Amino acid sequence: MDSAKLLDAKGMACPMPVVKTKKAMKDINTGEVLEVHATDKGAKSDLAAWAKSGGHELLKDTEEDDVLKFWIKKG
Amino acid sequence: MANAKVAIIAANGSLFDAYKVFNVATAAAASDEDVGIFFTFEGLNLIHKEGHKNLPLPEGKEHFQEGFEQANVPSIEELVGIAQEMGIKLIACQMTMDVMNLEKDAFIEGIEVGGAASFIDYAKDANITLTF
Repeated sequence: MDSAKLLDAKGMACPMPVVKTKKAMKDINTGEVLEVHATDKGAKSDLAAWAKSGGHELLKDTEEDDVLKFWIKKG
Repeated sequence: MANAKVAIIAANGSLFDAYKVFNVATAAAASDEDVGIFFTFEGLNLIHKEGHKNLPLPEGKEHFQEGFEQANVPSIEELVGIAQEMGIKLIACQMTMDVMNLEKDAFIEGIEVGGAASFIDYAKDANITLTF
């Protein structure tokens, strides 16, 4: 999937993945996709909730070798 | 998005309390909520210029120190910086400061000082109110 920006949040604990995602979102335009990589297990529900509350769209998320990946379309 | 308003009272001063307060506050601010924290009694430790950098673990819980390191949790200093950067309103309780003989310069930059009524005024139309 094409993403306008990649945020590497691996190794970060709550609430940093969400805080960093919020900051990274500022750098892309509405309709563009931010890709986030995280290892915080809480990020799975947190980023989904964060995207929903912010009016963004979580297009896809995957989990491979303990790395969670998210693709969030800016709303 | 219409922002929700989050009003938090921080009334305790251990490292655990600091994480409870600042994690919820920064997560709320990251979700574009309007966040204000009223620091009272031991809660003032959380914004004390030196104190917030070296908060004690609760008695008998010292063994969690290692867990904090392993989990790569951000420091309270870092979270306070993020809170300020995100525009979280930090209000120190005037009455507690008087009781503890503390002046505003004993605290981190950018705080406000106010009484209970200031907090109530901020919190009266809050959507979420939390006490830690």
